[in-house]
Amino acid sequence: MKLIETDVLVIGAGPAGSSTAKHAALNGANVILMDKKSEIGAPKRCAEGVSKEGLKKLGIEPNSRWVTKELSGVRLVSPNGTDVWLNDEQVKLPEAGYILERKVFDKFMAMDAARAGATIMIKTLARGMRKDYDGYIVSCECMDESFEIKAKIVVGADGPESRVGRWGGLKTVVKPKNMESGIQFEMAGLEMDDPDCIEFYFGSVAPGGYAWIFPKGGDIANVGLGIVSTYTDKTAYQHLLEFVAKCPATQNAQPVELNIGGDPVGGMLKDLVEDNVMIVGDAAGHVNPLTGGGIITALEAGMYAGEVAAAAIKEEDCSKKRLKEYEKICKKEIGDSFNKYLKTKEYMLSLTDSELDSIADAFQKTEFEKISTAELVKLLIKVSPKALLKLGKLF
Amino acid sequence: MKVMEWCMYCGECAGVCPRSLIEVRETSLIFNEEGCKDCRICVSVCPINALSKEE
Repeated sequence: MKLIETDVLVIGAGPAGSSTAKHAALNGANVILMDKKSEIGAPKRCAEGVSKEGLKKLGIEPNSRWVTKELSGVRLVSPNGTDVWLNDEQVKLPEAGYILERKVFDKFMAMDAARAGATIMIKTLARGMRKDYDGYIVSCECMDESFEIKAKIVVGADGPESRVGRWGGLKTVVKPKNMESGIQFEMAGLEMDDPDCIEFYFGSVAPGGYAWIFPKGGDIANVGLGIVSTYTDKTAYQHLLEFVAKCPATQNAQPVELNIGGDPVGGMLKDLVEDNVMIVGDAAGHVNPLTGGGIITALEAGMYAGEVAAAAIKEEDCSKKRLKEYEKICKKEIGDSFNKYLKTKEYMLSLTDSELDSIADAFQKTEFEKISTAELVKLLIKVSPKALLKLGKLF
Repeated sequence: MKVMEWCMYCGECAGVCPRSLIEVRETSLIFNEEGCKDCRICVSVCPINALSKEE
């Protein structure tokens, strides 16, 4: 059987995988980036929101080919319809800067990896892997061809269903309570109060999560929600149909696309590396537990993974101990903030619909000029004393 | 396991399978039925009800 040798094999060409491949290649490693799909970026499984700050931090210039909409604010809607409007001058919220066209964006990220020197294999499936003395041999299939790739480091960027991590000895199984079922329509004919703002709907409309409308320009938007199966007996699809039927903005809208996908919202996994193995992106839990957003953190974690992988290759030490550097960076730069978001989510999910309405009512009466997270929590504590118990020590 | 025609191969079932028995391909799911302990977690998380256990 044909055997291809490489330094780093990245499995999965979403933002995390492409970023890993790009940065490993830029730092001198031989890299193969593979994806089981015939088209990178499709089908999308995401609401497509990213923060402006996040892209800026990563040095990625917004491109009109993949930015569909620049946003100027956020509308938060409580179960009884009370809404709170915040603009981006008042509060810096994640996933509230640009709406992307993921089918284009993901390809651009993979193209960046290719330009950095990575080899890309599409429609190529990893079937399994076995340990070799200085790496792993991965069994692959592309169309009717079977072959093997020997890599000193295998990076699992294969999403929430990651098998690479499991093959490498990492515990990547997601508990049902930590797996948010995301579903959305891309719709035309939206009638939004302000099509420059994203909208979030809280409460029993989406048990265990929230619903959203992310405008994509004109009368087009992603309309979706995430639920956790342990909070409801209905499917995510049933909840979405109910939301679309009731939401004033979608009364005359029609779907042109249906997207689904699991979102691991339990926080970053404890172990991200083993000997010759790393995991990144959704596979590693690099998803904001509060918002479910993960594009920026996937790109960021991919950058760290690529840099550490290339350094380990240069030093001829791909042991777990060496690769731990990546885990430490992720914990500091991503994991610690995720722990705060996890606590905040726990608090949010403990609120009843009427408590959410009271909070929205209090917020509506507040004049916001510039609000920090700490001020937001102070206000929450005023309205909802149990916020003190859940959030008081965090901010 | 019966996979309905409307399955969209999102992989959520594979992500929660405690025994890693589900392989997600671009347009198919492969179940290792032999190792299945019938916990049905995969069925419960499917966003579009595309899985059912064959009795």
